[in-house]
Amino acid sequence: MTTATPNDADFESQALCHLPEVARFARSLTGDDADADDLVQDTFLTAYRQWHQFELGSECRAWLFTICRHRFYRVHERAARQVAVEDPELESLAAMATFHSAQEAGLSAAFERQEVREAIFDAVQSLSEPYREVAQLVDLHNHTYDAAALILGVPIGTVRSRLFRARRLLQERLLTHAIDAGIISPTSGTQSGGMSQ
Amino acid sequence: MKPMIDCDAIARQLWDFLDHALPPERVAELEAHIAMCGHCGSHVAFERSFKEALRAAQREGTDATALGARVRAALRAEGFADARNG
Repeated sequence: MTTATPNDADFESQALCHLPEVARFARSLTGDDADADDLVQDTFLTAYRQWHQFELGSECRAWLFTICRHRFYRVHERAARQVAVEDPELESLAAMATFHSAQEAGLSAAFERQEVREAIFDAVQSLSEPYREVAQLVDLHNHTYDAAALILGVPIGTVRSRLFRARRLLQERLLTHAIDAGIISPTSGTQSGGMSQ
Repeated sequence: MKPMIDCDAIARQLWDFLDHALPPERVAELEAHIAMCGHCGSHVAFERSFKEALRAAQREGTDATALGARVRAALRAEGFADARNG
């Protein structure tokens, strides 16, 4: 096969270079290092077997994340749960209320603290699946809305609404954590740090 | 001078703005409002610091080098011509 070598060279330069990022994504899906390593291997084997279908010049990282996610759900024999699209107006109001509570309590000043960084990671992991996925893709892995929509197989509007809600939920949880841990003090009117989702 | 867009519009589009998901002309409109509105300015600053904290909160998993070697070995078994293997 005279085309085998060039294809493999392309796989080397375009796919394997994303292994560390795919590994972080896999770990965020599985929550377990050993399972994540298995998932990464499965992802790259699948990608290699389908490499002839990959369109050179398209976004390989998003393609790998898509495979990784599909393999994860295939192994777990479940589909990502769908959630209702939120009302943008209500979500915007809720986000504003959360911002005011966080600002009054001085939450932004606590973002630099290591224990808060740890709490942020834990808070992301505690989100329900649809919200966790989109926060991981956009906020932790720096994907665009378009790429996240491609990976998740949902419309861009769904990415946007889930992302905005995920961020508000994270801020509420961080506010609650920071107050409970004594990192910041609640002020009057700082009662919206709920755990709802 | 009346602003082109109000604070509610900023709140609705704030994440699109910070995620670079708005067209340039809309970005310019938001920037003009944010520059003259203390409330929206502090809101933007808060959400931007939150985004930065979120980005910084990642944890590394297992050794990427060891995992890479494992993946390459599996690929070679599939026929992959590994440039790093010989």
